[in-house]
Amino acid sequence: MTIVAIRAVILVAILALWEIAARVGNPLIYVPPSAALPALGELIRLRSYPDLLEHLVLTAEEILVAYGLAVAGGLGVGFALGLNRVLGRTYGPILAALYAVPSVVWYPSLMLFFGLDAASKIAFGFLLGFFPVTLAVLAGIRQVNPHLVTVARSFGASSLTVFAKVMVPGMLFTLMGGLRTGLALAVIGVIVGEILGSKSGMGSLINHAYGLFRTADYVALVIVTLVLIVATDALASLVEHRARRWTA
Amino acid sequence: MSATVRVRALQGVSVLALLALWEAVVRAGWVDPLFVPAPSAVIRGFGSIAPTALNALGDTLLKTAIAYVLAAALGVTAGIVIGSVRALHDTLHPFVVAVYGMPKILVLPWIVLMLGFGTAPAIAYGTIHGLFPILVLVMGAVRDVDRHLLTVAHSYGARPWQVYLKVILPAIVPSVLASLRLGIVFCLLGVLIVEMFAGVRGMGSVMGGLANGFRAPELFAATGLVSAASIAIVLGLDHLNEKLSHWRG
Repeated sequence: MTIVAIRAVILVAILALWEIAARVGNPLIYVPPSAALPALGELIRLRSYPDLLEHLVLTAEEILVAYGLAVAGGLGVGFALGLNRVLGRTYGPILAALYAVPSVVWYPSLMLFFGLDAASKIAFGFLLGFFPVTLAVLAGIRQVNPHLVTVARSFGASSLTVFAKVMVPGMLFTLMGGLRTGLALAVIGVIVGEILGSKSGMGSLINHAYGLFRTADYVALVIVTLVLIVATDALASLVEHRARRWTA
Repeated sequence: MSATVRVRALQGVSVLALLALWEAVVRAGWVDPLFVPAPSAVIRGFGSIAPTALNALGDTLLKTAIAYVLAAALGVTAGIVIGSVRALHDTLHPFVVAVYGMPKILVLPWIVLMLGFGTAPAIAYGTIHGLFPILVLVMGAVRDVDRHLLTVAHSYGARPWQVYLKVILPAIVPSVLASLRLGIVFCLLGVLIVEMFAGVRGMGSVMGGLANGFRAPELFAATGLVSAASIAIVLGLDHLNEKLSHWRG
């Protein structure tokens, strides 16, 4: 039997066990797959939540803006700290210490400052995505072979040429890893923000369904949100693949 | 030596300058102190919430400690087992990675529904939050153990328990320590999220309450307190780690 078949069997076994356990226990709390699937159908046909698409698009937009800001800020700060020794040695450790703080402690302040709408979710997604991008730029710059930079300089390459032809290709592998982690964290930031308090977006629908004990709808909404997350990640992996081929 | 002193001085001056600028900007009335309180107001705010906040912090840290012990024990054990048994690794790897990559917050309402409000969901969610990073790191480390070492151990007739005790465990110690350092932040994060979402006690619920009550100075003070505590814990673990690596030789 191939490994894929074994995995499929395990998956089916888990679902079957879940179905039995949920029926024996409390179907309202444990939501058997036989209840979740029809709810998913209702959701996709826009019966249970007619405004699903608006919320889905809003969440996707928040993720996009938060990630864009995180990439811009992370690249800017990362290169500023990585290319300037004094700045790097002074503020690098402060940044690393702040990274050790569980990010959610900032969220109540952001909520107070930006309100319950999209801005606070974007700010929180930005904050979460910003650190891995910055730290990846810093790590990437350390990885660039200094001899290559010296050789390029001595052959008369301008700073811009050194940057574009030597540094960026040399650090791309690490940078790409950071950009992907940053995306995953920006997504988490937006969704955590929405679930902790919001009026629209997928998180608010999830909270709504959960608050009204509509557990089957809740599971269906979680599945739709997961599809959004997996789609984002697949897109990122495609871009990463392209970039890797370009350096190779 | 002097360079280190200069860097420290520059860090100190930067932080002080930032605080002074912040205070000046608020006093000049350029930002609304309702949203951005001055550092002096934050210090006064700390005075007024200190008894409650310190109690709540203790509560949060206790839950985090329990979750951390559970996550570390489960994560390291499962990581070693799944990493070292080929058949288990091949079948379970995609499931572990899928759950690891999934934002855990999506199952939080469900956990609260099952376990109710209070301590149990915080510990459960904190454990889940910390478990997977530890599991994935340890699993990878076990996979990365030099195959030659295993082959040599086997061919010299080492028993399975000897292979675990003499080859695999010593080889993965650095990764285990790194995963444990990472795990504590994840556990604390998980506990705080539950407290904010459905807390009746602990720092997360205190901070949520302060935010809803628009008490910005007290909220900033509470944020600073949790941040300081978590930085102190991580630095403490780093210190311990260094000591242990000296001891390993």
